[in-house]
Parts: sequence; structure tokens; C-alpha cells
Amino acid sequence: MLCVEQLTASIGGTQILKGLDLDVGAGEVHAIMGPNGSGKSTFAHTLAGRDGYEVGGTITLDGVDLLQMEPEARAAAGVFIGFQYPVEIPGVNNMYFLRTALNSVRRARGETEIGARDFLAIAYEAMDLVEMNRDFLNRAVNAGFSGGEKKRNEILQMAVMQPRLAVLDETDSGLDIDALRVVASGVNALRGAERSMIVITHYQRLLDYIKPDFVHVLVDGQIVESGDYTLALRLEEQGYADFVNHEHDDVPERPMSGAGT
Amino acid sequence: MTSAATAALASEVSLEARLEQIAAAGYPTKRDEAWRYAPHAVLDRLSFGLPGTSEDEIFFEIDAQIPALNGPRIVLVNGVFHEAYSDTTALPLGLDLSMPDCATASGAASAAGSAANSLANQVDSGVQLFADAYLALNAAFSGDGVVVHVGPGVHLDTPIHIVMISTLTDTHNTSCSKLAIQVDAGSSATVVETKLGIGSELVGANTRTTISLADSATLDHVVVQDVPSAQVHLSRTEVAQSAKSQLRARLFNLGATYGRLAYEVHLAGEGARVDLSGLYFGSGDQTLDQQISVVHAAKNCTSRQAFRGVLDDESTGVFNGAIEVCPGADGTDAMQSNDNLLLSNRAAANTQPRLEILADDVACKHGATVGQLDAEAMYYLRTRGIAPDEARRLLINGFADQAVQEVGIEVLRTWIAQRLGHGNE
Repeated sequence: MLCVEQLTASIGGTQILKGLDLDVGAGEVHAIMGPNGSGKSTFAHTLAGRDGYEVGGTITLDGVDLLQMEPEARAAAGVFIGFQYPVEIPGVNNMYFLRTALNSVRRARGETEIGARDFLAIAYEAMDLVEMNRDFLNRAVNAGFSGGEKKRNEILQMAVMQPRLAVLDETDSGLDIDALRVVASGVNALRGAERSMIVITHYQRLLDYIKPDFVHVLVDGQIVESGDYTLALRLEEQGYADFVNHEHDDVPERPMSGAGT
Repeated sequence: MTSAATAALASEVSLEARLEQIAAAGYPTKRDEAWRYAPHAVLDRLSFGLPGTSEDEIFFEIDAQIPALNGPRIVLVNGVFHEAYSDTTALPLGLDLSMPDCATASGAASAAGSAANSLANQVDSGVQLFADAYLALNAAFSGDGVVVHVGPGVHLDTPIHIVMISTLTDTHNTSCSKLAIQVDAGSSATVVETKLGIGSELVGANTRTTISLADSATLDHVVVQDVPSAQVHLSRTEVAQSAKSQLRARLFNLGATYGRLAYEVHLAGEGARVDLSGLYFGSGDQTLDQQISVVHAAKNCTSRQAFRGVLDDESTGVFNGAIEVCPGADGTDAMQSNDNLLLSNRAAANTQPRLEILADDVACKHGATVGQLDAEAMYYLRTRGIAPDEARRLLINGFADQAVQEVGIEVLRTWIAQRLGHGNE
């Protein structure tokens, strides 16, 4: 379904991705783990179409070349990115934003738009999934939301958009254990045979809740090892040190004790 | 000023004293801080004269043009009371209205009209020294003006709507009008001023509002300036607040080639509170000028100023906001913010906070921002499938809506939102 070949990305002359290869089949969940600065977020935003990168290689989704498309066209093609730092948009009503987003992709796909009343039913169902209070619909997008509320709002958007490919960029960062459980169960409920997911995380903790089919280790812009879930457990024990060639200052902090299995 | 205008002045011999200052001090220039960004070449083309008679035949679909506020309505056309457009029937008890050259309408069975008339005279006699030539011209040419008087202990639910319409007259292009609002002790009221105009010629309006709030009085004051883009609108409001009075003012500076809203508040009684907010939304070559001043002259008063500007094309926004804390005004709590969104690299925002603090125990904060649309927010919206034009529209409306939402009257919020081009939310 998603096919990434020899993907390179640089910004301001600094190369961040150095020939990344990845195949994600329909319905599969792939975890990408790696130390800080390895290129995890860059990979996510290269998939979503952020401006400012010089990109080489190919990315295709169901055979369609994504790299030639603007971010909104990629969304219409079924790509969704959950932001590590969701953007606050004061003054823009969350419900209006969600409906505009959904109807934008529907319009781009030649589907009929959804009216306010029918949309409400869709939104309520999605909100139940992430245990969000309904008055969140009437607040401004992410404005004044706590870290956990922002991440739940990302999953809410994903539930409304029903993407083909969901890329979750460090969705676990800044979450306490309860919020992590809610977010993870929302993600799990959205798993399906036609939906693929790339879950990017620094820590193995998230993968206790969202069990991936495959785990990849991203170091210095390349995938250096791939495996099944046990690879995540090994990383939890040993850290990234084995994969990192240079100094110890690149070794990430160890996760909090008790977060492991 | 044109020779026609000078002739109009000269012919009014009785106005001589009032116009002396104009002759002595002259018109404001670019060197006057408060008039620095005004288009003086356009202002020089304004001509003044006494109000004529109201023309019934002007083409104006009043009900289609103004927000439907369902309360008493006074309409002035070029400063002249227009009875057919107005509605002063069924006034609530405790509200007196007096119109220029017209009988007083009163909600009480008593003869409260004389009180309203004396109020109008008070306003006039209060003008000793004019801040500038335009204020002097207003005093000279505005006639009796409208008086809104809310008696003691009265709480009015429906807003009082004052509509001022500017259009070209035969003798001069600029009309003057005057409004006095008095809210007596413990009373509350809402007054909405809607400023509109007709035509594509250069027409000016010079309006002055004086507001007096007695002890513990509350006023919601909304000013919406949306005259045609060829017009000039000079609006000035002066407020005096007694102890524990509260004013919420919401100012929308939208129309005119030069739209100027000057708003001066004097917190004269202990514990008074003023909350000013506003939006200026410019495009084309508009200059939208806010001249705001709050004077803390008593202890324990609170003031808030929060103004937002959206500036497109080659429009110019001006925010000149003063906080003055007099000696002895301890316990002052004053805040000011001005945020500007520039949509074009030819647009300009000029923001100038002026703080003069002469008391010791003062909490005073101010901040100003000038920025463009947030690139990260644009990207976020686009990853949700929203096309750039729509994303841009969402962000602009979101920025402006934070000022619109400050208006308590839903009909008015909707009207303003529609004027800003996003009535579908």
C-alpha cells in the first residue's frame, strides 16, 4: 500500500533522511523507533508534505506518487498525520474545523458533503472513542487544551477523517498513563484491514498499548534494523546505544522505570 | 479646507467664538501625534456647514442595511433626525430620548424631557477647550444632538440603537452630529451606534459622543463604523465614569477611506471599570485609526484595552493607546494589548502604547504584536485536507472573531460577521 524507496530529505543543506526504505501493507501497523535527531519527525512530515524540505526518492500510496502532491491533496488521498505538537488555532471553532476538513476531502474525492446535523452524529461517535467531553466541539481548535487533550483531539480528527494511512508522530509524548490508555484505545479501535498505520515513538511504552506488526529502528536517517514486536522489547532493555556509532551524548534518556513489561 | 467651507464658516457669525480656536491653532497636521497617519490631503477636502433638512426621498433600505435590534431606534441623516426611519414608540419606563429640533420622547408619563434638554446644554457648556479643530467644528455645526437619558435604578434589556447615515448635501460634504448618553446611578443600558453612508463621493462625518456614568451605572456601548469606502468618518467619544460604574465598549472600525475612532475614558470615581475592545479590518487603501485613551484619576479602578487589526492590500492600521495614571490613583489595574495581522506586504500597522504612570501602587501591562498568518497553522489545516484559500480564510476569521465574540448581542455579532464575509459559521 505505502511504498517508500530511497527517501532522502534535507533542510537548509543538512541531510536528515539518507535513503529510507519502507513498505507498509494494508492493515499493518508499523512502529518506527529511534533516538532524538534520527529523522523520525522529518519522515512523518515528508509523508504529509511539509514545505521547506528538499526531498528525493519516491513515496507512493496505492501506486500514486505522493511527493508531487500538496498536503491537502495527500489528505484527500488518505494520508493523515497526528502531530507531535498540535497547533493551537484561537478563534476557529473545533466543530467547524472538523466539518470543513471532512467536507474538503470529500469534495476533493467527488463525494457529497455532509450537513451539520449528520456531521454531529459522526463527531459524537468519534468523541466517545477518545472519551472527549462534547463541549470540546465548541472550543477553539487546541486553544488552551492540555497536552493530553491536544493528543486526544488528534485521534478525534483521525476518527472523523477515516484515513487510509495514519502517521502518528510521537503521539505518546507528554501523556500521562491515563491519557496514553485513552489515546491508544482510540487508535486500536481505528485499526482495520484497509487502514495502515505508522506509529513513531521514542519509547517502547506506547507499544505496550498499540501492538505493532513490525518495528523499525531509525538511526541517522536510515532504517538500520527491522523486526517484530520483540525488537521493541530489546530496545527497551538496551537502548539505542548499539545502533548509534557516535558519542554517548546522543544516547537518549532511559524511559521511566515501570513503563516496561 | 476649501473656500466653500470657509465661506460657510464665515457666514455663521454667531459661531465666531467657537471657531476662534480653529483660526488660532489651525487644523491638525502630520506633526500632531494623534493625526500622524491621517490622510491630510483628503481631510483638506472636507467642507462643513449647519445641518440641512432631512430628505425623505434618499434611497436607503434602512431595514435591510442595519442590524435588527428590536429596540428604540433613532436615525440621523447627516446629523438631522429622520422620523420615518426612527422608532421611539413604546419606550421602556425610565428612558428619555431627545432628538435634535424635535420633541422629547419619554418612557415615563412625567415631563422628563426638560431634564434631557438641560443635559444637552450641559454637554455644550462643558466644551471649553477643544482638543482639535474637528471637535470645535462639531460643536459649531452639530446642533442640539441626541440625548439618551436612563433614569436612576433602571435596567434596560433592549439596546438603544443610534444610526447615523452620511450622504452628500448641496452645500457641504461633511456633517456633524452629537450624542449624549447619561446613565443614572445603579442603572444599566446598552447603546449601539451604527455609522453608515450612501454614495461613492467623498462625504465626511464628524460625530461626537459624550457618556456620563453615575455611581454603579453600567453601560454596554457598541460602535460599528461601516461607511462607504469613499467617505471619511471621524468619531470621537468622551466618557466620564463615577465610582463603581462599568463600561464595556466594543468598537468596530470597518469602512471609510479614513475611519477614525477616538475614545477617551476618564475614570473619575473609585472602583470604576472600563473594558474596551475593538477590531479594525482594512483593505484597499483604507486607513483605520484608533486613538484610545484611559485616564485613571481615582483609586482602585480597572481598565482593559484589547484591539485587533486585520490589514490587507495597502491598508494602514493605527493604534495609539494611552494609559494615564494620575498621582494618588493607587490600586490601578490597567492592561492593554494590540494584535495585528498583516495579509499583504504593502499593508502597515502602526502601534504605539503611551503609558504615563504617576502613582506608586499600580499594575500595568501592555503588549503589541504585528504578524502574518501562522505558517505552522496553515500547514496543520492543509494536512487536514483544507485548501490554502479556505485555510487562510479560516485563520483570518478566527483572528477577527475573537473581537466579534466580545459583542453580547447575537444579532449584531451575526451582522458584523457577515460584513466581514464569514456569516456562514
